Amino acid sequence: MGGLRLDEALWAANQDLARACLEHRFVRGLADGSLAAEAFRRYVAQDAFFLRAFVKAYAAALARADDREVAAELDAFIGGALEELKLHRACAAELDIDLERVAPGPACRAYTDFLLRVAWHAALSETVAAMAPCMRLYAWLGARLAGSARPENPYRRWIETYSSAQFQQLADRMGALLNRVAGDIAEVRDCYRYAMQCELDFFSEALG
Amino acid sequence: MVDAQLIRDAGPLWKEATSSPFLEAAAAGTLPAQAFRRWLAQDYLFARGLVVFQSLAAAKVPRDCHKTLLGGLVALDNELDWFEAHARRLGIALDVPPHRACRRYTDFLIRSAHTEPFPVLLAVLFGVEVSYLAAWSALRPTGPYAEFIARWSSPAFADYVTALGGHAERYPHPSQQEYFNLVLQHERDFWGMAWEG
Repeated sequence: MGGLRLDEALWAANQDLARACLEHRFVRGLADGSLAAEAFRRYVAQDAFFLRAFVKAYAAALARADDREVAAELDAFIGGALEELKLHRACAAELDIDLERVAPGPACRAYTDFLLRVAWHAALSETVAAMAPCMRLYAWLGARLAGSARPENPYRRWIETYSSAQFQQLADRMGALLNRVAGDIAEVRDCYRYAMQCELDFFSEALG
Repeated sequence: MVDAQLIRDAGPLWKEATSSPFLEAAAAGTLPAQAFRRWLAQDYLFARGLVVFQSLAAAKVPRDCHKTLLGGLVALDNELDWFEAHARRLGIALDVPPHRACRRYTDFLIRSAHTEPFPVLLAVLFGVEVSYLAAWSALRPTGPYAEFIARWSSPAFADYVTALGGHAERYPHPSQQEYFNLVLQHERDFWGMAWEG
């Protein structure tokens, strides 16, 4: 994969898992609007639990950042994730989910345990490699599903959020951050791939 | 057998975490070689993760827990030597990728070691060791795996587990049961992986 930037190379190396997510019954259900409301509720609840861990992982990464520009970028990501949590709160209220009482399933816990283990225990490069797939994958799924955001689709808002230019930019910035802090080493590749696997398992768990 | 409120309040999870077709087959001498080899490599990787957990936990616990946790670390280090010797003898590669169940378990342990207060870590460590003691000491130490059964049902190991249980009880915390139960879920899944792949 000569010539590719690291974020591109890692994304290319994990196309099998990206496709498995795109073809997953949960994601197909978002696209055609057929996803059971209960599965979406479970997903939103678990996603809020995940996002709280994501914020902490950014913060732990920030604590390790020596470069001030990297620190500023991580700070911006924390702000963005906290904003996203607010949206979740509104969305959860609409769906009548009490986010304080969410009991995460094993796949959701495994993902957050992994993220926080890496954030607390491993290098900054591995932490960013563990966090980047989520952003890249959602931006890609959003773009692939953009044509399905029809007015009658109950999951239109989800598709619009992740296909928006704003989210695409966020994913690009995350990719740039990865290129800046990480080299192409086995630990970085492993974190990226395992995070992709966690994403796939996360969709499966939401189906119940 | 070690008794503790944490065990009594774990409900059916306790049995799920401490019995498995893998163990039954090990005792009966009918364990497929492939399952044994998989278990040995994955249990070694798990023990490596446990060393990290226990080192971090040892740094957090109060003085009166030091001897138990530090002594346990030395025993764990010897156990790694023992695993490595067995692996060499049997030609089992230890530099294999962790199975998902193993990875989830060690991620959980190391994450908790960093983010949870020491009384919770005592409950976690007690959970890891007491479930292992119960699982192996339910078997008769005979057959090709007698050495393994004897290792984790020895009086010395039971004393260590009892001491850990005492520390956990002396420093109660509202999250102890939740974390003890999470350990049992990981134990259950680990045995399932060892048996089924």
